[in-house]
Amino acid sequence: MTKVEAVIQPSKLDAVKDALLEIGVEGMTVLEVRGHGRQKGHTEFYRGREYSVDLLPKVKLEAVIPDELVDKAVQAIVEHARTGKIGDGKIFLSRIDEAIRIRNDERGVAAL
Amino acid sequence: MATSTRSLSLRDLHARDSARIRKAFEATSDGLAATTQRAKLVDEITLRLWQELISSDAAAPRGFCLAARGGYGRAMLPPHSDVDLLFLSDSEAVLNRHKDGIGRMCQQMWDLHLRASPTARTVSGCAQFDPNNSELTVSLLDCRYLGGDRQVFDRLHDETVPQVVHRNWDALVQGLSGLTRTRHTKYGNTVFHLEPNIKECPGGLRDYNVACWLNFIAAFEKPRPRGESGPALDESVGEECQDGLRFLMSVRCFLHYLHGRDDNTLSWEAQDAAAARGVGIYGQPFDNAAEWMRNYFRHARPISRWANQLLDEVSAARSSLYRQFLSWRSRVSNADFSVVDGRVYLQQSTGVRDPELVLRAFEFTARHGLKLASDTERRIAEALGSLSFPQGAELWAHLREVLLAPNAAHALRDMHALGVLDTVLPEYRLIDSLVIRDFYHRYTVDEHSFAAIEGLHLLHKPEAESEARYAEILKEVEEPELLYLSVLLHDVGKGLPQGSHVDGSLEVGEKIFARLSLSEEQRETVRFLIANHLEMSAALRRDIFDHETVRAFAHKVGSPERLKMLCLLSYADIRAVNPQALTPWKAEDLWLLYAATMNYLNHSADDASFQASLQAEYVDKIAALVPRQEQPLREFLAGLPQRYLRAHSSEQIATHFAVASRIRQHPVQLALKLARDLFELTLITRDRPFLFATIAGALTAWRMDIVKANAFSSQTGVVVDTLSFRDRFRTLEQNPPERERFKRNLIEAINGEVDIEQLIASRVSTARLAPIKVTVDTRLAFDNESSSHSTLLEVIAQDRPGLLYKIASTLARHGCNIEIALIDTEGQMAIDVFYVTHQGGKLDGKTQKSLRATLHAELEDDKPVGPG
Repeated sequence: MTKVEAVIQPSKLDAVKDALLEIGVEGMTVLEVRGHGRQKGHTEFYRGREYSVDLLPKVKLEAVIPDELVDKAVQAIVEHARTGKIGDGKIFLSRIDEAIRIRNDERGVAAL
Repeated sequence: MATSTRSLSLRDLHARDSARIRKAFEATSDGLAATTQRAKLVDEITLRLWQELISSDAAAPRGFCLAARGGYGRAMLPPHSDVDLLFLSDSEAVLNRHKDGIGRMCQQMWDLHLRASPTARTVSGCAQFDPNNSELTVSLLDCRYLGGDRQVFDRLHDETVPQVVHRNWDALVQGLSGLTRTRHTKYGNTVFHLEPNIKECPGGLRDYNVACWLNFIAAFEKPRPRGESGPALDESVGEECQDGLRFLMSVRCFLHYLHGRDDNTLSWEAQDAAAARGVGIYGQPFDNAAEWMRNYFRHARPISRWANQLLDEVSAARSSLYRQFLSWRSRVSNADFSVVDGRVYLQQSTGVRDPELVLRAFEFTARHGLKLASDTERRIAEALGSLSFPQGAELWAHLREVLLAPNAAHALRDMHALGVLDTVLPEYRLIDSLVIRDFYHRYTVDEHSFAAIEGLHLLHKPEAESEARYAEILKEVEEPELLYLSVLLHDVGKGLPQGSHVDGSLEVGEKIFARLSLSEEQRETVRFLIANHLEMSAALRRDIFDHETVRAFAHKVGSPERLKMLCLLSYADIRAVNPQALTPWKAEDLWLLYAATMNYLNHSADDASFQASLQAEYVDKIAALVPRQEQPLREFLAGLPQRYLRAHSSEQIATHFAVASRIRQHPVQLALKLARDLFELTLITRDRPFLFATIAGALTAWRMDIVKANAFSSQTGVVVDTLSFRDRFRTLEQNPPERERFKRNLIEAINGEVDIEQLIASRVSTARLAPIKVTVDTRLAFDNESSSHSTLLEVIAQDRPGLLYKIASTLARHGCNIEIALIDTEGQMAIDVFYVTHQGGKLDGKTQKSLRATLHAELEDDKPVGPG
């Protein structure tokens, strides 16, 4: 099993979510986050006051999926979250040792 | 029963009678009967266990007894509730002697699936009051004798408990109030949850018990007849609350049977099942769970009001600090109302015959945050059917006062609960206690609307930095009552059977606009807000840093004033969905979108000029107001920026057109009106050098503070300038004849018949300056990118009399023409944006440099000095 963590533009969430559902990724967790990558933030002005938007709004999507779905999932995220501009986000993959369904104690892929 | 069941094992007895009770409940839906019978059954079981494990004589052993506590003590035991027991002795030694027996007895009860919750105490131990555990003392209020030494129980019941209550009255009431208020806060202080916990939510069974306890404590001096159980169904409780108890008990039994455990959540699935069986409503099935839920709220509401009323009244009875606070509030009493212990009473003792008095009562509670006394509520409710409430502007005047007052939501909830809101605005019945199921909303539609209004008023005392930003926006809204009205009505369409709720709210809104006789201009604002109340949330799902997103949203909004109101409506709407809905993340994004859109609107005011051919519908709308003059109207509108069209209503534009048509005969047309605390001056004339500076200078000479201004010019050279100013010395307000002299003087100034500099010098020197609270540094920014025709000059400076004249005259002296001026003031900071041209084009670098130097020097030279 692999945990997929994707930090993407909030505006791309619906498209990415639908694409993941389409390939069979049914469970996911979505968090509202702020952060920046290499693009850092930028400065805005409002009524003569300067304020820096150094942590930009993003959403982080987490899903633990069977290994055979990983390539498809990554492809779906890249395809639907990409605008080609700085700030499109990142995907992180990590190994997961075990998954347990709390309700009935199912283990492994069956618990996903 | 005891004789016939002696031969049965406890397990068989419990199984047989539990099944019998359940069957009876399923047939009758009578929750009170089911809980009473279960309490009797458990009485029999505990007594038999007592005889088996403690003493074969039910009235022995000496010095030791068994009592029921809590709900079981009130002889009401829902199917899966805990069995609260008190093992009571006259000494520790006796307790220790029976320790094993108590353990075995509880073990056997658990084996029977009876969730025994035992407490073992001595009578003297019960006399110790622990302020951190007032629940134990409260549970003793309901104790009921089950078996053992009766004398021990009587000592507790007749002597110890009254003494504990007397000695610790304040702490006990305070503890009970604290626990209740904490619980209420946890549940958002409202009855109107979509999936309520019928025990813990306000208006639930716990509230009923709290009210009984408070009633009981308040009257504790009266001796209680021996053997009487607690205050379960006090005669003093209104019929409505007793009905509420019956209903809630039926629902609770139903939920316990449905879930197979002590789960009191009335989930959507449980609502469907309860509605299908007509639980609590004499078994009358409901097709629609939302309709059945309205019955739930109808029963919970009086219990909540009763509990809250007693919390206030009983707390007030002895707390000197609270009494002092209430006494301070009683000073607000007037000819209509007197305030006693924080409750509002009607001064007149006869029946309520004046409908305006009723409306004034809610204005009063909205203003002072007070509650109506139950006597006042009763008198209003009794009179409601026979009163003929005012309509039209008069009704709007009353509603406006309520909406603008700091405790508007509280007063609206009371108006709604007593049926007054639904009487004056019958359309509001559509969303009375209406449950609309979704994953985000926690409250019914009506409560959501009140909570949204509450959220806006809370901005007057902002706690977080993010709230302070929205608070600033709220301060700048010109007609906040229209914002509050929009919030009140934005979801009313959810009560219509089909179609989009936004369309429904607009449809229902039209009826309410007519009922309140709102002007067309006011209707347009409220229509816009209702129609677009989801737009900002939708825009947040796009990339808010993308110029196109901001541009598209700005075009939809049109004007800064509408943007401010829409932003606040979105803020309040999201905030009232549930306590977690407005995350700091979302609050920040909403504000970023607002700021970006405001910047865009200020930097794109001349983006597009009016083209009649592209906006036939718009022309038709205004043309309908000026019959047979369509062509001259098109000529008047030609070339005016879109910003002008969005900043003014159809009526205002029609008036401007009518005024402009007279400039051939009278070249300077002025209109002056007082709108709230500001005067609004509209000037229509042909453009000429120094025009804007002259008018600003003349207003300065009259010692008027210019707060806002819009200046626009058309292709035909006609200018439409609107200036809002504060008449600091009330010269015009208190001397109406002065208004004509003022207008004449302005015309003379525009026609060059008076020297503005001289006029200012002779009059402004005497003007007292407002004290400087915050020092604002002068900042000047030129922008040649945002507009295709003009250079944008943004001036941020310390506000002071004559500032606008100084800037405008400096611009004029540098040969700059003001195409558009957007003047605003935030506290003591002036924020002015000018679209200027020089010799028909944008300002080159040299002109900008020279202008910057002169302006900076001028504005810094006579800048008022702030503190420190």
